[in-house]
Amino acid sequence: MKKLTVLLTLMFLLLLVACNTTSDTAKETSKNASPVETTKEKETAKTEPAEPVEIEFWHAMNGDHEKALAKITDDFNAQNDNITVKLVNQGGYGDLSQKLMASAKAKTLPTLSQAYEDWVTEYIQNDLVADLTPYVENAETGMTDDDLNDIVDVFREANMWDGKFYSMPFNKSTRVLFYNKGLLEEAGVAVPTNWDELKSAADKLTTTKDGKNIVGMGFENGVGMELIMWVKQAGGDFIDEKNRKVLFNSPEGVEALSFINSMIQDGTARLAGEDGYMSGPFTRGDVAMYIGSNAGIAFVANDAEGNIEWTTAPVPDGKKKASAFMGTNVTMFNTATDEEKAAAWEYMKFLISKENTTYWAMNTGYLPVRYSALESEDWKKFIQENPEYGVAQEQFDGGFYDPRVVGAYGVKNAINKEVEFVLLGQKSVEQGLEDAEKAAQAELDKANR
Amino acid sequence: MERTTWRASIQAYLYLLPALVIIVLFTIYPIIKSLLISFYDDYDYFNDIVYARGFASYQYLWNDPTFHKALWNTFVFVIGVVPASIALSMFIAVLLNSNIRLRSFFRTAYFIPFVTSVVAVSIVWRWIFHTEYGLFNYVLGLFGADPVAWLTDPKWAMPSLIILSIWKGLGYNIIIFLAGLQNINEQYNLAARMDGAGKAKRFFHITLPLLSPTTFFVSIVSIIGSFKVFDEIYALFGGQPGPASSALTVVYYIFEKFYSEWEFGIASAAAYCLFIIIFILTLIQLYIGKRKVTY
Repeated sequence: MKKLTVLLTLMFLLLLVACNTTSDTAKETSKNASPVETTKEKETAKTEPAEPVEIEFWHAMNGDHEKALAKITDDFNAQNDNITVKLVNQGGYGDLSQKLMASAKAKTLPTLSQAYEDWVTEYIQNDLVADLTPYVENAETGMTDDDLNDIVDVFREANMWDGKFYSMPFNKSTRVLFYNKGLLEEAGVAVPTNWDELKSAADKLTTTKDGKNIVGMGFENGVGMELIMWVKQAGGDFIDEKNRKVLFNSPEGVEALSFINSMIQDGTARLAGEDGYMSGPFTRGDVAMYIGSNAGIAFVANDAEGNIEWTTAPVPDGKKKASAFMGTNVTMFNTATDEEKAAAWEYMKFLISKENTTYWAMNTGYLPVRYSALESEDWKKFIQENPEYGVAQEQFDGGFYDPRVVGAYGVKNAINKEVEFVLLGQKSVEQGLEDAEKAAQAELDKANR
Repeated sequence: MERTTWRASIQAYLYLLPALVIIVLFTIYPIIKSLLISFYDDYDYFNDIVYARGFASYQYLWNDPTFHKALWNTFVFVIGVVPASIALSMFIAVLLNSNIRLRSFFRTAYFIPFVTSVVAVSIVWRWIFHTEYGLFNYVLGLFGADPVAWLTDPKWAMPSLIILSIWKGLGYNIIIFLAGLQNINEQYNLAARMDGAGKAKRFFHITLPLLSPTTFFVSIVSIIGSFKVFDEIYALFGGQPGPASSALTVVYYIFEKFYSEWEFGIASAAAYCLFIIIFILTLIQLYIGKRKVTY
C-alpha cells in the first residue's frame, strides 16, 4: 500500500513537471511567433522553409485509399529535406469532424486536414481556416492562371468563397451506377440509361435464385443526402443560396422522392441498411445494381474478386442531367505558424500535381482533379483497360456541388432524417417532404440569424 | 485513536491529492462548466465569449419533438431492460449458488460479456441480428417463421437493443447477487426446511427478503446505467441512432447536438435534464427502499 502511494505521488509529480514544461514551450513559441504575426499583414505568403518543419495532415482515408495517400506523402517527404508531413488517420469523416471541433476548442488544430465544403463554411464563420489566396497568387510559389484553370471547374469553384480560396480539391467523387454483369445478362436487361429503364430493370432483376433473394436495385443509407441530385434530375430546384430558402418541396421534389420510394416499397430496391455500405451486398451478389460513390470502386474491386463480374455506368438521367460532385478538400488552419503554412502549401500543390492526382485516381477510384491529368495518355490508357474508372468523368456536364450556405450541414442531416422516415414507411412522401422543408428551413434560419 | 495534527492532515491530503486532481479536472469541472454552458444563448464557443445568457436552450428542449422522442425511447429502454435484467440475473444467481456441475465455469461464462468491449460485442450481435445471414433469423426459419429485420425495421430496433443490453449487463448483476446470496445465513434455510417449507416458499419468504438490499443496489445501478445508454446504440447501428431514429436516446441526442450540430448550449441543457430525471428517480427509489428493504 505504501509503495502504491509513493508511486502515485511520483506519477503525479511527473505529471506536474510535464505540464510545466509544455506550457513553457508553448509560451516560447508564442513569443517567437508574435513578431512574425505582425509582419504577416504586409508580407505575402512566405516560402521555402529554411529550418526543418513538421506538419500534421489529418485524414479519414482507409484501406487502399490510405495506402495511396501514404505513398504520395512519402514521395513528398523524400523530395523535401526540410518538410516532414505526418499523416494522422482519424477514422471516418464523422470522427474527423468531431476531432477537429474538439481540437479547435483546445487550440491544438493540425496544419492540414481533409474537409467537406460545408465544414469549411463553418470554419470560415468561426475564423479557423487560413485564406489560401495569397499563396495561390504568390509570384514565386503560387499557381499561374493556366495552372489554376487546369483544375476542373466544378472542383475549383467549390473551393472558393467570395472569390477567395480556403481549400484545394483533393479526393473528389460522384455517384455512378454499379452493376452486376452476370445478373443483367441472365435477365436480358440492358444497362438503364433513364429513370423508367432503371425502374423496369430493378423490377426484372428482383428474383429468387437457388433460395437466395436478389434485389434489383440498391441505395446507400445516406440516400437522403443525395436527394439534391434526384430533385435536380427531375428538373427541380433544391435551395436558393442567395435568399437562403429551401425549394425542394415542389412537384419535382415529390416526383424524385416518390421514384426512389416506390422501388423501396415494392421491394425492387433496398437500402444498404445493416450492411453499412452497398459494396457488401453488391459483391455478395445479393443486389444486382446500386448507385454509389465512385470512391467505392477500390472496395468493390477488392471484394468482388472471384465473386461477381461487374462494372460501372453513368447514373441514369432524369429529365435533366445532374450529378453531384462530392468528396473532401484539403484545408489549412490559421493556427499554424507561417513556416508551417508555407510547408503545407508546398504539400497541397504536390498532392494535386498532374502526376499525383493521376496516381491517386488510379489507385482509389476518385477522380483526377486536373484537366491535364484527365487528358494525359497514361490516364486515357488506364481507363481504356479499366472502364469502370472512366465513367465518373463523363458526368462533368451537369456536374454541380452541394450547397455551401452556412448551416448546410444541418440542412442535409435534417433532410436525410425525413427521407429515412419516408423510405422506412413511417411517413408519406408528401408529409416527409413537408417536414423536411420545415426542418431544413429552420436549420438555415437558425444558422443565419 | 491518533490525535488530529496538522502534520497528519497535510500528509493525508497529500495522499489524496492525485485522486482529487483527477476528479476535479475530469468530473467536477465539466459538471460545473456544462451547467454554465446550458445557459448560454449567444456565444462564441471556440474563444469562450458569451454575448447573451438565458433559458433559450431549455426552451428549445421543451418544444423539440426529437428531444421528447429521445426521452420516450429512453424510458422504453429502461423499462425494457431493468426489470427483465434483474429477474433473469437473480434467477441465474440462485442457480449458480446451488450445487451444480461446472459451477465456476458458468460463473466465468456469464461474466465474460460484461468485460468484453462493447464494440466487439456489438459487431457479433450485428451478425446475429442480420436479416439474411443472421443466427436469429436462421433459428426462426427452422420454426417456419418469417425473417425479422431486427436492425433495419424501426419497430424492431428497440427490442434488438434491449436484448443486447440485457445480455451484456447480466454478468455484473449476477456477481452482485451471488455476493448477496452468500451473505444469507444458511441457518434460516435449514430452519425453514425443518418446518417443511418447499423450495418456492423458501425463496419467496427467506431468500428474497434477505436479498432486498442487494436487489435495491442493483436496481439503482441498473436504472442509472440504462438511462446513460450510448455505446451499444452507436456500435450496434453503425454510428446511427437506429433506423428512422427509433433508438435515439437522451445521451445519443446530447452526442448529436454537441458533435454533429455544434449546439453546445442545447447539448448541455439536455445533459442537465437527464441529470435531474435520474436524480428524482433515485430519490424516489431511496424513499421506497427505506420502507421496503429489510436490512
